This record gives sequence, C-alpha cells and structure tokens, in this order.
Amino acid sequence: MKQITELATPFASISSDETFFGDDLPWLKSLRLKARTQFNNAGLPAKKEEDWKYTSLRPFARQQFNHGAKTQPLSVEQCNDYALLDDAYRFVIIDGVFSAELSKIDGLQAGLIIRPLSEAVDLIQPHLGQQVELTKPGFTALNTMMMSEGMAVTVDSNVKIEKTIELLVINSGESANLATHLRHVIVLADNSEATIIEHYLGLNADSSFTNTVTEVILAESAQLKHYKLQQESSKAFHIATLAAKQAAKSQWTTNSISLGAKLARNDVHTQLLGEQSHVVMDGLYLVDNDQHVDFHTRIDHTVANTTSDELYKGILNGNSHGVFNGKVMVHKDAQKTDANQQNHNLLLSRGCEIDTKPEMEIYADDVKCGHGSTVGQINADHLFFLRSRGLDEVSARSLLTYAFTADVLDRIDSELIRTALANVVEQRLPKPSI
Amino acid sequence: MKMLEIKNLHASVGDKEILRGINLTINAGEVHAIMGPNGAGKSTLSNVLAGRDGYTITQGEVLYKGENLLELAAEERAQRGVFLAFQYPVEIPGVSNIYLLKAALNAVRKYQGLDELDAIDFLSLVRSKLDLVKMDEQFLHRGVNEGFSGGEKKRNEILQMALLEPSLAILDETDSGLDIDALKTVSEGVNGLRSADRSIVMITHYQRLLDYIEPDFVHVLSDGKIVKTGDKELAKELEKTGYSWVQQGQAE
Ligand SMILES: Nc1ncnc2c1ncn2[C@@H]1O[C@H](COP(=O)(O)OP(=O)(O)OP(=O)(O)O)[C@@H](O)[C@H]1O
Ligand SMILES: [Mg+2]
Repeated sequence: MKQITELATPFASISSDETFFGDDLPWLKSLRLKARTQFNNAGLPAKKEEDWKYTSLRPFARQQFNHGAKTQPLSVEQCNDYALLDDAYRFVIIDGVFSAELSKIDGLQAGLIIRPLSEAVDLIQPHLGQQVELTKPGFTALNTMMMSEGMAVTVDSNVKIEKTIELLVINSGESANLATHLRHVIVLADNSEATIIEHYLGLNADSSFTNTVTEVILAESAQLKHYKLQQESSKAFHIATLAAKQAAKSQWTTNSISLGAKLARNDVHTQLLGEQSHVVMDGLYLVDNDQHVDFHTRIDHTVANTTSDELYKGILNGNSHGVFNGKVMVHKDAQKTDANQQNHNLLLSRGCEIDTKPEMEIYADDVKCGHGSTVGQINADHLFFLRSRGLDEVSARSLLTYAFTADVLDRIDSELIRTALANVVEQRLPKPSI
Repeated sequence: MKMLEIKNLHASVGDKEILRGINLTINAGEVHAIMGPNGAGKSTLSNVLAGRDGYTITQGEVLYKGENLLELAAEERAQRGVFLAFQYPVEIPGVSNIYLLKAALNAVRKYQGLDELDAIDFLSLVRSKLDLVKMDEQFLHRGVNEGFSGGEKKRNEILQMALLEPSLAILDETDSGLDIDALKTVSEGVNGLRSADRSIVMITHYQRLLDYIEPDFVHVLSDGKIVKTGDKELAKELEKTGYSWVQQGQAE
C-alpha cells in the first residue's frame, strides 16, 4: 500500500505509469522501482530527522512542481554569456533537457567520453547508484526514480584531459515551477586526470526545483578537480548530492560555491577506500535576504594512510540562515589518517543565523585530526585601519567581506577557473549594511 | 600656518577619562615629539585624532587646517591628509598590500580631484617608495602585514605614509621593534618627508629616534595631560632621569 507522508505531497501526483529512459532495461527499471517504493514509504525528510534539524522543507512542500517542460531555446551567444569558461568542453542542459546544439562536445580528446545520461546507460551501468544510499528518506530516492537526464563522463586509463569540462545547467523559467531530476556520473579510470565544473544557473526569479545527484568514481591514482557553482534564482529550491568513492592514491579536489536559491541543500560525501587517497573538500556559501543554505559533508577514512583537508566558509547577510554540518569518520583500520576540517562564518547582519557543527568520529588511535569552527563579524580594528587609509566605510566593509573568501578561492589552483569564480563571487557579495 | 590646534581636549572610554585637557598647537613644517610613561594616553590621543570610534569627547576641540577635525569620519580625515602610523599594525589576510596601497592612494586622489593613476604609473610610484624604505617588492603581494615581522610591519606603515604624502603624520612608536639599520632607514624615510607644508608628530619612548629625526619640540604626556614642553634637550634629560620629576612638578 502506498503511503505518502505529508512532506511528499509535491510529488504525490507522480503516476506509476510515467515513462523514463532505460525502462526497457530490467536492471534500471528495477532500480527505479526500488527507489519509488522507498520514496513512497519514507517520503521527504522531516525536521525530526537529525540531518534535517535546521532545514525545514515546509516551504518546499507547499509548492506544486511540474515535470516535463516547454524549454526555451537560447542562442549560442546567450549561452556563451552564461557559461563560466570560453575555452572548455561544454555540456548544456536547459530546463532538464540536453541541448546538443548549445553543447560543445565534438572532437573530444581521445580517451574521453561525454554523453547525455539517457544515451550512456551501458557505460555507467556498473556505477549508477553505487555511490549513494537509497535507504535514507529523501531526495536521492526521488532522484533515482525520476532521473530524466544528466551528464555521463568517462576518462580512460592514463589519459589526462587538457580542457576543462563545464556542465551548464540552465533553468530558463519558461515553465513555471519546473522540477528537474538530474543524475551525473563521472568515472575516471586509473591514472587519469580531469577538471569538471558543474554550473547551475536560473535565468529569472521564478520558483523551480533542481534535484541533482552527482556520482564520482575515481580509480587508482586518478585525479579529479571538481568545482560547483550554484547561481539559481532567489525562489529556487536546489537539492544536490555529490558522492564519491576513491581508490588508492586517487586525489579529489572539490569546491562548492553556493550563491543562489531560496533553499540550497548540499550533501557532499566521499569514501576514501584505498591507501594514500586524498580529498580536498572546500566550499563557500554567500546568502542574503531570506535565503537558506545547508551543507552536510562527510568524509569516510576507511583504510590507513589517507588524508583529507576541508575548508568551508560562509558569509551571511539579511535574514539568511546557514547550516554547516561536517562529519569526518575515521574508521578503526584507518591508522595514520590526517584529517583537517575548518568552517568559518562571517555574519554581516543582526538577522542572519548560522548553525555550524563540525564533527569528528575517530575509531583509530594513531591519527592526526583537527577541526575548528568560528562565527564572527567584520573586525573593527581592520575596518578602522582601512578607513584611516582613506577608504570609505562601504568600500572597506566590502573589501573585508571579499577578503574573507580569499583563502578558499586561493586553493583553486587553475588561475583561469579561480579568476572566473572569484569574479562571480565578488559580484554576488552581500552589500554590507552599515 | 597652523596645522593642528588641540584645545582643552578631554576624552573618555566609558566612564574612564583618559585625555584630561590636552593643549597643543602644531604649525606647518614642525616636528613634535611626544614622550611619556606607559598608559599616559599617547595612543589614545593619536586614535582620537585619526577618528577611531569608541571615545567620547567630553570637552574641547581640535582644528586641522582650521577645520573642525572631530566632526569628520576617519576616512575623511585620511583623505584630507591626516595619517596615523599605528603602534600595533593589524594583519589583514586576504587583502593584498598592493591592493590596499592602490585603494588608499585613489581615495586620497579622488578627494583631491585627481584621476586614478594607471597601472604603470602606480607601480613605478610604488617602486620608488619601496626603495625609500628598502622593502622588497614581494611584500606588495602578501596580505597586509600578514606574517610580517614586527619591524617589517613598521616599515610597511612608513611605505603607506610615503605613498600618501600626508600633511599631518602621527607616528605612534614607529621606532619600537626596529633594529638599528631599520631605524636609520625609517628615519631617512621620515626625514625625506619633512617639508614646510607638512607636520610630523612622533610618539616615542626612546631618545635615540630623536638623534635621527630632530624635533622642534618635545612634549611629555602624563596622565592625560601635557605636563612639560621643551626642545630636544628635554628628551635627553628624560633619558637620564625618567618621568618622576615631571610628574611631581605637575601642580594639580
Ligand atoms: N578602550 C579602552 N578601554 C579601557 N581603557 C582604555 C581603552 N583604551 C585605552 N585605555 C586606557 O587608557 C590609558 C591610556 O592608554 P594609551 O594606549 O593611550 O597609552 P599610551 O600612552 O599609548 O601607552 P604606551 O606607552 O604603553 O603605548 C591606559 O590606561 C589604557 O589602559
Ligand atoms: Mg601607545
């Protein structure tokens, strides 16, 4: 018998005879069915769920969302304006639909495949769904039953991809209250390298719902640099899961920059499964007005000699609300783990609020682990110093606000990407109120 | 021309009165040294002049080039040529030194009705000032004072001063923490700025600085008041005898 909890009402109308890509494949059909059963039983997470304590889905649940969209055709020029990088492979999804015309995935370097997920099922079959848990209530199950498109990337062994791959996901606003469920799968074979940017953009201020799951598989000695820029509209709901599994000696650098959306929830997770694997997990969130941003991160050190370095920073203004919950799990065999986790927050207004909870659970005894979190305001001595050098108060506050983001941005080693992201961040800095 | 006139200035923090009736006139072109025991109120006076928040002026007034200084915001004072070299320069990670120098110079130039310098002119100007204080160019690209040694921070203050060319420079213990060579370099930098239309106030504990930068007047500030004024001989006397005799001589 179907049970749909109160919070699942936006999706109560999804009928079971809706069709999806891959319905002809028994394994995929059964995966979707499993997810459907799970979602129908558990629905969306309620606030009593520990992981959702500070993030209420009530405003979300009050909304009705539509599936299947009229898409708005964009010109190549418009698309060029929206993209972060010019000289990159580009994979464009507009209103949930892959656009071959706007994408630039011809003439790929040998050893690289980039394809719409709906046409890459064979490629990703061994990996799809392996990085995420279906059993928890919520959006991953919904995504798995509903996924309609996404980007599949595979890189062959020993291949180093020179160009960055930009995944550009645009919500045009052409269809009101559009819900899209995207699944991206990134597979790097051993000793391969790639750089990928996920870029989410809303073109107008309408409500929408983006539900993405990105699965990352790094084989031995693979290196992935991964950046995510979320600039959805101020009425958008953006729910994202980013989950990786890392084999020995693999290196994953990921940096999530969250600027837009009314409610943005990001779950970022990696499992360090092989020795000498390393993750740099960074993020930056800037929220203003009534925005709500929630980052839940988790790093599992499961074997010996793995390292993680995590730096999240947040700037909050207006009546915005931020949540950071970072969990580092050092399992009992994970001797010689080196883990560092930091979360620092800058509050610019009286009305904003941050709940920060860095957590380390350590079951091994020979480890080097540190974590810390701070919540502060603009330093009065710094402000006076800048003013005493002639900078007016507004400029001085903006400069100090921007300066707060510097160390996160400095950790982006490609100058091209760093500059591009820094420009976007600078434009979106909350205007400090005096 | 009178650069600065401080008349019966009283300032408090909370209900603690720190400046208790300061009178001091500084003419254009003069160099004044202010000495005095720890806690006398020297830094408080410089902060009040530079416009730091948190002090209540309970009595008195301050005129800068004839204008009521205390009514101006800190940045307005800086733009008009008041410069304070801090006793304890702050570190500001994330703001590069060169960015600060550029923003500061442009703020002052804007007030003066001048255009911003283009990148090339700006850099060559900064380079000439770096030479003056014998600082390496790499300091430009570090965060403001970030990880600088004590002496490097003080030099960096003088670099900013040299670039901004203020009319009234207040140096709060710029000599403290400098090695002998650095003291010489910094002094040369300051002497290079001496001119008929510029005034300098040096707060110091050490007579040695005054060998390098000869003051026109030496004042002793004690317990929130100027209790004695003399010429550079006064500093030498203080070096020998300490402050107790001036403090005792202060008839309440
Ligand atoms: N914000 C404040 N709150 C409370 N007391 C203060 C504050 N600022 C200054 N004071 C006090 O005022 C007095 C004067 O301080 P100030 O820093 O001006 O002294 P100073 O003459 O510069 O001393 P030093 O030679 O040690 O630098 C001190 O007793 C100090 O503790
Ligand atoms: Mg002092």
